[in-house]
Amino acid sequence: MRRFERFWSKLAKKAEIHTIRTKLILSFLVIALLPLGIMAVFAYQTYYGSLTRSVTEYSHEVVNRMARDLDDYFSDLEVLLTRDQDFYMDQLIKLVDGNDFNNRKYVFRIWEDLNNLHRVKPGLEEISLVFSNGNRLSNYGLYTLDFPSFRTQFQLNRQERGIAILGPHRKFMDRTVVTMVKPYTLATAGNAVFMTADVNLNRLATITDVRLGTSGYVFVADELGRVIYHPSDEEIGTISRFFRDDIPYGFVDGFGDHESERFFFATAHSPVTGWTVVSVAYADEIGAQIAPIQRITLVVIALILVGVVLLAVYLSHALSRPIKDLQDLTKRAANHELTVHIEPQGNDEIAMLGHSFNKMIRRIQELMDENVREQKLLRKLEMESLDNQIKPHFIYNTLDLIIGQLESNQNEQASCLIEALGSFFRLSLSKGREVVPIASEVEHVRNYLFIQQMRHGEEYQYELDIDQDILDKYIPRLLLQPLVENAIYHGILQAERKGRIFISGYQRASDGTIVFEISDDGAGIEPDALRDINEVLRGVRSLQNDKEYFGLRNVNKRAQLMFGEEYGVVLESELGQGTKAILSIKPIEEDPNV
Amino acid sequence: MSKIWAKGLTIVALGIVIGLCLSTASVQADGYQNDELTIAFLPRSLGNPIFLDAFEAAQKKAYELGVRLEWVAPFDFDSDLQVEMIENLIRRKVDGIVASVNDEEQIHRVFQKAMDQGIPVATFDADSPGSGRLFYIGINNYNAGVEIGRALVDVIKNKQLEDQVLNTMIMTGYREAVNLEERIRGFLDATSHEIKLHVADVLENEDTVEKSIILLEDYLKTNPEVDVIYFVGGWPFYVTSDALPNFRQWAQEGGIAVGIDLFYDALLLQKEGLIQYLIGQDMTSMGSLGLELMVNYIRYGEVPPKVVETGLEHANESNLDRLLETHKPWLVK
Repeated sequence: MRRFERFWSKLAKKAEIHTIRTKLILSFLVIALLPLGIMAVFAYQTYYGSLTRSVTEYSHEVVNRMARDLDDYFSDLEVLLTRDQDFYMDQLIKLVDGNDFNNRKYVFRIWEDLNNLHRVKPGLEEISLVFSNGNRLSNYGLYTLDFPSFRTQFQLNRQERGIAILGPHRKFMDRTVVTMVKPYTLATAGNAVFMTADVNLNRLATITDVRLGTSGYVFVADELGRVIYHPSDEEIGTISRFFRDDIPYGFVDGFGDHESERFFFATAHSPVTGWTVVSVAYADEIGAQIAPIQRITLVVIALILVGVVLLAVYLSHALSRPIKDLQDLTKRAANHELTVHIEPQGNDEIAMLGHSFNKMIRRIQELMDENVREQKLLRKLEMESLDNQIKPHFIYNTLDLIIGQLESNQNEQASCLIEALGSFFRLSLSKGREVVPIASEVEHVRNYLFIQQMRHGEEYQYELDIDQDILDKYIPRLLLQPLVENAIYHGILQAERKGRIFISGYQRASDGTIVFEISDDGAGIEPDALRDINEVLRGVRSLQNDKEYFGLRNVNKRAQLMFGEEYGVVLESELGQGTKAILSIKPIEEDPNV
Repeated sequence: MSKIWAKGLTIVALGIVIGLCLSTASVQADGYQNDELTIAFLPRSLGNPIFLDAFEAAQKKAYELGVRLEWVAPFDFDSDLQVEMIENLIRRKVDGIVASVNDEEQIHRVFQKAMDQGIPVATFDADSPGSGRLFYIGINNYNAGVEIGRALVDVIKNKQLEDQVLNTMIMTGYREAVNLEERIRGFLDATSHEIKLHVADVLENEDTVEKSIILLEDYLKTNPEVDVIYFVGGWPFYVTSDALPNFRQWAQEGGIAVGIDLFYDALLLQKEGLIQYLIGQDMTSMGSLGLELMVNYIRYGEVPPKVVETGLEHANESNLDRLLETHKPWLVK
């Protein structure tokens, strides 16, 4: 099973079944060929049924027509042989009875009469008067026949209406004929006289001349199964192999088996002759008649298949080419080639997709440009923030403080301060990392507060209350220090009294935002100024002087660049009571520098 | 006692005689029961009434001789069918064949076939001298032509027209028929040095009465200036003059007609003055004597002469009335 799956997988891969184009081709083929196949099967069944019905109807129509033709022909013959009170015949019969040979007048007239009938009636080989002395006066003259045998045959074949039709036999001109015999009645005649009409079997051949497939044929047989006419001369006069004495007229009508072969028989009875016309068609030939249709159907299906394949290839190509182009361009775009541009053709969904792709690529390009700009701005702000931290007077004052401590042998304090300053700068640089753990940033702030506390003679106290849960999360570096610096310089130091700075950090339960609050109990801000600052921070108002509110704007802008407009800094303040800077950032769970 | 015996013997003898007579009569009435011989006659066609004399005479002779007579032919002149019929007669094993030959060339092969199978073959009316036939019975056709030619010369001279060139039409059956060609040859030989005939046309009527009448009437309609007509056979003479209006008018205006074949209807036309001279052949003897010669040859081996002439009969003004009394009307048309 696995081997088969592997084989199928390989085959599918080789045939590129996974491609849209191949799938489209297969889909088109299935969609086109499935109904075609169903239609072909249905058409075949319908045609075969129709053909069988047609053959059946045609065969019956043919044999019925033949039987009617036979009836018509022999009825006409019977009319020809029906002579009542023919003067010349009557006179001749009397002369023959009296052995009087002065008969030229009657013989000549009768010859003329018989010859005219022979001329006008197609298939009439000979027409004659037969006398009991064996003389036969016909359109060929006068000759003799075996009268006792003739009379016996007449009596054996005599029908109810008095005529007899004698089966195939050879006559004067050595041609095979069937003979209609009718007694000629003359009250004064002493001996029997008959009128006969010999019909050439070619006439029956003409009446029954029809082709039924390659080997099918029509034959005529009497009620005893004797073959009257058959296309094969050897069969004439024999008992037909299809004759059965247990059914009316002796022949099956419909499909029947004989000697392991299947035939279709159509029969029609001729009441005038008492014969049955039988058409014999080989069943396999009826089926064979559908072979050309089968061939034509297969050729048509093959042509349609070729057409469908070509159409499917064309359509799939037409449909998949833009997709393929799109795929190539997407691949190029994925490889940072954002100058790609698709030329959509038409107004279909794929063209719309092309337009959207172009729009998307343009947007990506814009976003990337914007991102680059933002990154540049971020770097700039970062650098400005950094520059702000390592102001020369901050460094000089701190170093002077250290020197002073060292000179006053406050070595331990100097050591702590150096350590704090070193840590401060190390954390400021943070190996150039853009984002640092909150713990590092808090430590950085703690160092800064310690240094500033040392510098400003412990004019304020500070306290940090950072939720432990957020310490291992990450924060853009140098975000907190400017706010702390503002709290010292614009809050505590402005109040000119001892103050307190409280820094808290936590994660807001409602939306997960990390919030740092840097509170001081210093001078506070006037409400107008506070509103003005917050409007600047919200971007509602712009400033003419870039230096104004620099620290706040730097932090706010970096937070918004990193996390969005909803983040950033908000100030709350009450004049004389203090100020609280609230920084909100999006939590960064993983170290993006890894 | 002797009287009684004599009476008894007389009655027995009479009884035997009567019995024999009755016996013979019944055999003959059933038709040739005592004799297996079948002799077939083939006229050129059934539709030519000139053969009816021979037919009737042959029937009577056959009855008399106790043989079967078969009289078979195509109704219309048809050389091929005549040959086919002879083939069938050979197949049916007739005992003798007597034929009036339609086409001499065609007949040789089939005659030879019959003779090869022991069937004697003879000819009547129209001969086939090169066929090896047993005998020919009929007239000397050349002589008949000469005789009718001489008769025409007399008629022309009596009319003192011998110095004029006379346009002549000859009506025959088929140019292939040897007997008819002989009659033409004899006629031309007899007239060529005596009178000035210009043979304008030779019409072939295919040995049929109907066509001969149509041809004659049409010809005279378009060629009324023709002076002489020579009928090689009597085909158009089976009808009355009413059926030949153009011919009657032509003859009444001085046209001269002579012909071979003499029978009652032809004599009537001659009586009306439409025909100047007729020579007839004895068709009765051809049927009667021809059959007898053949039967005698078969039964008794009597070899007949190669040519049996049946003689000619002349009809002119001197014997016309007598001939009209001796010949009977045929009434076939």
